[in-house]
Amino acid sequence: MIHFNAVTFTVLIAAFALVTYIGFASVRWRPGGDLTHLNEWGLGGRGFGTFVSWFLLGGDIYTAYTFIAVPALVYATGAAGFYALSYTIMVFPIVFIFGPRLWSVARARGYVSPGEFARGRFGSQGLGLAVAATGILATMPYIALQLVGIQSVLTVIGLGQGNGILRDLPLIIAFAAVAAYTYISGLRAPALIAFVKDTLIYVTVIVAILYIPGRLGGWSHVFGVAQNHLSSVNPKTGKPFGSIVVLPAGEWAYASLALGSALALFVYPHAVTGVYAAKRRDVIRKQAAMLPAYTLVLGLIALFGYLARAVPAVNAEVKANGNNPQLSVPLLFAHMFPSWFAGVADAAIVIGALVPAAVMSIAAANLFTRTIYKELIRPYASSAEETRVAKIASLVMKVGALGFALELNKTFSINLQLLGGIWVLQTFPAVVIGLYTRWFHRYALCLGWAVAMVYGTIAAYRNSSSVQSHFATSSTSVFGHITYIAIVALILNVAVSAVFTVIFRLTGVQDGYDETRPADYVADPEPAPSASARGARAPSRDSLRAR
Amino acid sequence: MAPPAPPAKRAVHRPATVTAVAVMLSVSIMGSLWVPFFARTQPELAGFPFFYWYQLILVPATSVLCWICYLLLRPKRQRGAPSRGAGPQGTTPQGVRR
Repeated sequence: MIHFNAVTFTVLIAAFALVTYIGFASVRWRPGGDLTHLNEWGLGGRGFGTFVSWFLLGGDIYTAYTFIAVPALVYATGAAGFYALSYTIMVFPIVFIFGPRLWSVARARGYVSPGEFARGRFGSQGLGLAVAATGILATMPYIALQLVGIQSVLTVIGLGQGNGILRDLPLIIAFAAVAAYTYISGLRAPALIAFVKDTLIYVTVIVAILYIPGRLGGWSHVFGVAQNHLSSVNPKTGKPFGSIVVLPAGEWAYASLALGSALALFVYPHAVTGVYAAKRRDVIRKQAAMLPAYTLVLGLIALFGYLARAVPAVNAEVKANGNNPQLSVPLLFAHMFPSWFAGVADAAIVIGALVPAAVMSIAAANLFTRTIYKELIRPYASSAEETRVAKIASLVMKVGALGFALELNKTFSINLQLLGGIWVLQTFPAVVIGLYTRWFHRYALCLGWAVAMVYGTIAAYRNSSSVQSHFATSSTSVFGHITYIAIVALILNVAVSAVFTVIFRLTGVQDGYDETRPADYVADPEPAPSASARGARAPSRDSLRAR
Repeated sequence: MAPPAPPAKRAVHRPATVTAVAVMLSVSIMGSLWVPFFARTQPELAGFPFFYWYQLILVPATSVLCWICYLLLRPKRQRGAPSRGAGPQGTTPQGVRR
């Protein structure tokens, strides 16, 4: 049975106290120009260079939920869980291609969220709203899942067993702390905390990969045990649990899930926020080459699923706790590491949940403030008012996510996150294709978006399996191929947009006004706010050197 | 609304460079998209089935390819200069904030 471990708990609390202190102190880190401007709170002054961006984007994209859910999937189903590695490999060439234009136009036009770009590019308030609403809708369950990640750690160290408020208290305290320092420090808090998170993650993974396989009899043995389990028949479904490599029938699903997730990741508001916060255009391309270091870590963490499978005590306790594979990684730490190091590893996961939760709530707050509040409610809001509204919106997002995690059952959050991935990808035509062409008509894009949202939701809802009546998987059968719903919906989206663009053009429905200029997409403005004071139309070599 | 930015001095790349970049990026995307190629157990490496070690090796390979592309696309003026000086092209002070 699971026992409360005081040493593990103390290490975890110490790490939590440290990052909370850093979170509050970060408000004084690299103060920029006008502190009341949304650029400062919402994008850390848009001044993050290569080094800070690397930690921020890494800390933000590779969430704690990924670190729990991916090995859990590998633990339960084998090779299928490795799609996460494929997708985080191919996402970087994609960022390399689209990222610089996305950054440049936002910098040149002062956008802080993708919704503003869609509005400005296509001259359509409705499209901007659609992008913002989709982003917020997709982000809320994603934040809730970070809490699910924390919960599985708390369960394994023996907290969160009782009933009522006592069970939820640790989670509420943790989230209240994040909410408070995000409110005060904005994006600077997760950027600084990301340093701690990543140090802990790298240390944990390196130690685990060097130490655990030896104790378990080597990798050959680990894969052998996994193979035996996966090929045995699951009594519930009458089929094998999974497979050690992707079977021919699953190849299409695997590839489309990887591609869809990679494209979706790129339009998730928290990833866009990380890109916008970069100081210079070339930082983005450099990141595309440097961020795969985290992908390697993710790949090794995915293998933790097999390591956990090879420890009989972990299997027994996963079974004893409602057959929840999400406990496999924290249990692996508890059984393989000394108590104090299990505390370090658990802290890596808990802090790993706090960083993305903070960035996601900021990203959603930026979307709300610029695209919904300023467009619909108070068009003449000052920048100080914008910042105030964004701060409050970030609190609301966190409380909402906490409500999700505590009130609704976990399956519901996971289903919603699955839907979130499908939904958010439907902003791809407006946000990414829009970077290259505005051939699409604004109303056609709105229609395409609406059709794809409805289709995706229904297709996911109707998916059933022997254990779940709805939302059983994220894939559906199209022309005999099992395909990720988000990809099918995206194709539908683009097709509808194209057809209606032609129809609207032929019938002479008025096009929107494009406020961007071709030069905006390749702009690389001076990062320092003082640049304008120097009147640096053509900066001399000296002014460069001075920086 | 910010006034339109003056035309940025965009580095014009030779067709050979653009082709090379396109090929390298396609290879790195296809490497993980072409599942039938790596969905197999043999040959094994240090106890790892091919499916696993191939994907783990693909990570640094993609990283190196992206880095080469980054170097190829870097504006000429910057070569040899300290890596942080990307500022000069297309300076639009009025475009920074609105």
